[in-house]
Amino acid sequence: MTSRFLLTTALAATVALPAAAQELRFFNVFDATATALWEPVLAAYAEATGTSVVSESIAGSGAAVYPDVLRTSVASGSPPDVFFMWGGTIAQPFIDAGQVREISDLYAQYGWNDRFPPWIIARLKQPDGSIYGVPFKARGMGLWYKKALFEEFGLTEPTTYAELEQICTKLAEAGKYCASFGGQFGWHTMRLVDYFLEDTCGPEVHDAINARAQTWDQPCVVDAFARLKAWVDNKWLVPDFLGVAPADSRMPMYLDNAAMVYEGGWFENVLAGDGQNPADYAFFLPPTASGRYHAFPEQWMIPAETANAEAAGAYLDWVTNGETHMAYRATFEGSVSDGYSPDCAAFPHACAWTEILTSDRGTYPPTDQAFEKELIDGFFEAQDGVVAGLMTPEAAAALIQSYVEQYDQRG
Amino acid sequence: MTLADSRATRARPRASAARQRRQRVLAAVRPWLFLAPALSLYLVFLVLPMLFTLYMSFFSWDGLSPLSERVFVGLGNYVRAFAEDDVSRRAFVNNLYWTAGAVIIPTVIGLLLAVALNSLTAVNRLLRTIYYAPAVLPLVAVGLIWGWMYNPNFGAVNLFLRWVGLDGLAGGWLSSHTMALPATFFTYVWSHVGFPMILYLAGLQSIPRELYEAARIDGASRWHCFRHITLPGLMETHVIVLSLAVINGFKVFDLIYTMTYGGPGRSTHVLGTWMYFQTFQYYEAGYGAALAWIIAAIVLVVAVPYIRRMSRD
Repeated sequence: MTSRFLLTTALAATVALPAAAQELRFFNVFDATATALWEPVLAAYAEATGTSVVSESIAGSGAAVYPDVLRTSVASGSPPDVFFMWGGTIAQPFIDAGQVREISDLYAQYGWNDRFPPWIIARLKQPDGSIYGVPFKARGMGLWYKKALFEEFGLTEPTTYAELEQICTKLAEAGKYCASFGGQFGWHTMRLVDYFLEDTCGPEVHDAINARAQTWDQPCVVDAFARLKAWVDNKWLVPDFLGVAPADSRMPMYLDNAAMVYEGGWFENVLAGDGQNPADYAFFLPPTASGRYHAFPEQWMIPAETANAEAAGAYLDWVTNGETHMAYRATFEGSVSDGYSPDCAAFPHACAWTEILTSDRGTYPPTDQAFEKELIDGFFEAQDGVVAGLMTPEAAAALIQSYVEQYDQRG
Repeated sequence: MTLADSRATRARPRASAARQRRQRVLAAVRPWLFLAPALSLYLVFLVLPMLFTLYMSFFSWDGLSPLSERVFVGLGNYVRAFAEDDVSRRAFVNNLYWTAGAVIIPTVIGLLLAVALNSLTAVNRLLRTIYYAPAVLPLVAVGLIWGWMYNPNFGAVNLFLRWVGLDGLAGGWLSSHTMALPATFFTYVWSHVGFPMILYLAGLQSIPRELYEAARIDGASRWHCFRHITLPGLMETHVIVLSLAVINGFKVFDLIYTMTYGGPGRSTHVLGTWMYFQTFQYYEAGYGAALAWIIAAIVLVVAVPYIRRMSRD
């Protein structure tokens, strides 16, 4: 394996040779921990190829702010050479504006179609088959819980929504909250609503309403919001959470006041960073009849205007290569590149996620990757209204539909 | 007199006139030469972008695509802001509430603090520093700090309320559709009360002490002194403080953005945040430009008379 890795590195060096001593800027959302993990990776690439890759991180509020910073950079004529992006509609405005390079040629050149699970590539493709991003990681999301709390109350991971309700009932009777959310930006609460939608609407209808091929003011959407209302009314959720930042919502779980949080595979590192022992926690996929789960790809993109497209392609080939990922396993936790396997002894949760993400199991996207930003804010308004008791589930479903119609009308 | 002398005599006044003309031109140009560096920066970084924004407010454009893809919509963006967009109307009303509060509350508190701390004792100096200190903090930092203080679970505000036995008042300050804006405004008051206090303290120094002494000899009470000497004596300061309060009230952005992000729902948006969302998050740069000009127009209505008055004085 080492020889193959060296060969790959040498190949990257060969490709990048004409651009030796050049510099690539890459935008990302790495926090301090991730930045530290990436430093040796970038140093190794610079040493192997002579191409210095400068990381410019905009960490903090996730998809709420990062695209703005990127947009400003692109619009000002000073785009990075490579940038991180989530999938779906978060990336779409950049693609529609012609600001991202179409990279089918790089897929063919580097054989990327064989490097990643088909569902991830399918999720990144445009309806016309064009593709603008190469997968960085695949992320699945589920309910993480503190094992000791489950053991204390004799709880086991649910296999149906009814069982999940029973867990929440038991916890509420014991004076514990079932789950904790931070509603400040809307997307954290959305994860719970998305799960309800998947279970009440089923995969076909859920996909159809996300694609705006069916209306939102239908009974299954009302049922999903009715569940949200029930979770609030039954005090299964830590109260007054709409103004709480998502990162701050973990505190009730750490303090044993709440049993679960809805987070992704990255949460193992977050737990370690927050001084928790990841071994004290476990996760399960919120049970649905279809068996589908919440997942989305993260990707790298190349701006159309970069003068270093060739070097950027070579860098992306190196940085998405399973061999590279094996050399820096902790950095690439969450990778689904062929040839990568997580360090299961050090990162047991990441190991479990990789198994899920590379399986044939179906996935559904978070609504903020299915809806344009303007629409998703309407969705957040509806869910916040239900949580605050200012809106009935019927009114919430109708409000989203009205926003969809206004949006479609404007074109 | 020779012919040459005669020519020299005629040429002298002409040369003198030319020199005077040159001096007059130089005198007229010189101030502009001194102004040129600052003026060019002002034109490039303020006036031109403002004019470009005004121009873009008549177009539909996503802010990302090439400019050639813009579509002329006339006054459509302005019509949308006033007649079609519920959130922009709500944001405008929020701005009105905010501005009314900003004009009254920090101004009154600042005035009372200034009067109370007017004498130069060591304690007063310390208290002035304490009250003014929040005004020098970046508003983003203030917003983050107060966001944590308002946290319903471990925030200082609720912990304090529970500690003093007011459990019923402890709640989700920023989670409530009705309380989020007032709670954010309270933070504004906390961070802004020092500024009018400083201006009023400066104003108080310009009121002759003899007026107070004479009034007291005539039997005037403290209230009468305040009502008939202090308040009229601070007229210039009132103009400055109130004008700045109105301008800042309509420009508010940082605290809303960091503390509520316009939520819950869209209940705490002000025109500034809604303009930002439209421009940078919804890729409606033309509409965002129209909202920006609505804010600018409102602010200019107050700012222009204020600047004229200040320039005159």
